Amino acid sequence: MSASMTKPFNRRMPPLRFVIARAGQYLVLIALALIILGPIVTAVLGGLKTTGELYSEPFGLPAIPRWENYTGIIASDTFWRQLGNSLIIVFGTVTLTVSSSALLAFVFSRLVFRGRELIFNFFTLGLLFPVTIAFLPVFIQVRQFSLIDSYFGVILPLVAFGIPGSTLILRGFFRAIPSELEDAAYIDGCGTLGFFWYVLLPLARPALGAIVVLQTIVSWNEYFLPLLVLTDDSKWPLTLGIMQFQGQFGTDWGRVMAFVSLLIVPAVLFYIVTQRYIVTGLTGGELKG
Amino acid sequence: MASISFKHVWKRYAGNTVAVKDLNIEVADKEFLVLVGPSGCGKSTTLRMLAGLEEISDGEIWIGDRVVNNVAPKDRDIAMVFQSYALYPHMTVFDNMAFGLRLRKTPKQVIEQRVREAAENLGISHLLDRRPRQLSGGQRQRVAVGRAIVRDPAVFLMDEPLSNLDAKLRVEARSFISKLHQRLGTTFVYVTHDQVEAMTMGTRIAVMSAGELQQIDTPFNLYHNPRNLFVAGFIGSPSMNFFDAKVVQQDGGRISLEIVGHMLPIPAAIAEPFKSHIGKRVTFGIRPEDIHDQSYLPGGITPSMIEANVDVVEQMGNEMILYLEENGKTFVARTDPRTSAAIGHRLGLAFNMDNIHVFDVDTELSLAYEYKQNKAQKAVTA
Repeated sequence: MSASMTKPFNRRMPPLRFVIARAGQYLVLIALALIILGPIVTAVLGGLKTTGELYSEPFGLPAIPRWENYTGIIASDTFWRQLGNSLIIVFGTVTLTVSSSALLAFVFSRLVFRGRELIFNFFTLGLLFPVTIAFLPVFIQVRQFSLIDSYFGVILPLVAFGIPGSTLILRGFFRAIPSELEDAAYIDGCGTLGFFWYVLLPLARPALGAIVVLQTIVSWNEYFLPLLVLTDDSKWPLTLGIMQFQGQFGTDWGRVMAFVSLLIVPAVLFYIVTQRYIVTGLTGGELKG
Repeated sequence: MASISFKHVWKRYAGNTVAVKDLNIEVADKEFLVLVGPSGCGKSTTLRMLAGLEEISDGEIWIGDRVVNNVAPKDRDIAMVFQSYALYPHMTVFDNMAFGLRLRKTPKQVIEQRVREAAENLGISHLLDRRPRQLSGGQRQRVAVGRAIVRDPAVFLMDEPLSNLDAKLRVEARSFISKLHQRLGTTFVYVTHDQVEAMTMGTRIAVMSAGELQQIDTPFNLYHNPRNLFVAGFIGSPSMNFFDAKVVQQDGGRISLEIVGHMLPIPAAIAEPFKSHIGKRVTFGIRPEDIHDQSYLPGGITPSMIEANVDVVEQMGNEMILYLEENGKTFVARTDPRTSAAIGHRLGLAFNMDNIHVFDVDTELSLAYEYKQNKAQKAVTA
């Protein structure tokens, strides 16, 4: 009798250890989400406060929401000009990084020549150095090329530091594409570049997408490089726009918060829309034909 | 339409690995040549050199009336079907088939017409809008063939195109490709490791081993007059039985073979080529179907009697496969299905001495090869 009683019960309830394990997973994820969301929410709410309020009660809800912090920024010409500058830098960086690393990855993955691995390893050394470490030499180089105060002074170093990682990702993807497809393309009438253009690139779309997303976010968020290279504030991207609220005698923290919130909105939206590319692009490579 | 010839073709890889050794093959126009051999024998490399996907280390390859050593694959007027089919996953079936024509700047209407026509012939018209991953193995195989057909090439190359199909589809695809060859009347070069495919499809078969051409001939001749030990063992299933033997001349001048303690007289009509080896050790070969149960002897053969122990019996219905043992030597026979063989018992057997094969121990060449070739030649001319 007891058997017939416990059996349906068991079917409905998973064993206790699974419940505990699942609960543990949720706890960790919730904690992580809070750690990430905390500062963002603080910034968004901070944008609705006065500087005084921010000092006295940094984390609470604003007593009276000061929407003019946001509307003021959106209404200003500066914001839109800086948005345009940011887009120019993002577009330039992404286009150049993707096109050059795709060609590089093609050479390193599909063509055979002496010293290929050595040269490729040399390329990947670039992964060791974040742009922050190399600011001084980068600045000197940019000055030698007379690129101070030009968009290219920001774009080219970003491209240079983006290429190693992008090439690494794309090369892995290109290598996973079966060599019989390459043979078929040659017999169908492609040359090397034809194969690259008609077969390899379309098949590597997930990886290309991932690189576009990563490079977009990196170049959108870049702060120090434009600060160093662009002295003319009409060329400043959005990240540098925060400085306009830092006066000689004080900082309007409410506006800074509002500005930061507006700055991250496009990046977050872009990420939400494109995150599936990142996941498939970085983990994929599976091609079923 | 084109003939093909390999003239002293070599393929060497770095580190002195030789994949193909001094290959000479002539393929006539409209012929269906099968390259067959165990894996690593150089047959795929040979095909890839013909396609232009591998460089030729030495020698010349001709397609039609020109040397193609330095001609790019796309300019060789060939089409190829790959083992994995190599369909472009990001294109529809239509685009897969049209791709080669588009690259050659064929007018749009012509492409449309040729692709539809080929699809019609292959029974894949309803699949033109699908992507390769939505197709079954057999359908993909047809698309791969379709992609080759629309180009209307002078030579068709196929690299193990059936090995990814299941057994039933493979049989269908075999006759489908044979029919295709008859309909198109184009030269085919087909690579396989499967001797059944080779025997059923090829007008001629080139058997390769360790980078060397062993023999090139019609399926019938390969089977009945193998040039050497390798071809004899490779073609036929179950494969030919080999015995260590000795050629002896008995009293009265009769030439016989001494195997596993038995003396098998050779019919005088075919004994001529063995005279040079009297007193020498040789390898004796006999096909399983040439070993009969004494109780069910077919007429018109020259039997030699021998007894052996029965190890395993496989009743197939139309025939019986027997695994036998005599004096420590095991061999296989295909006998009449009515044979009353019981495991562990001794069975009286008859070797059909008209169809024996004898090979030199050192060179592994068939002693009677030239003799039989000449005889066949005479029969044809007479």
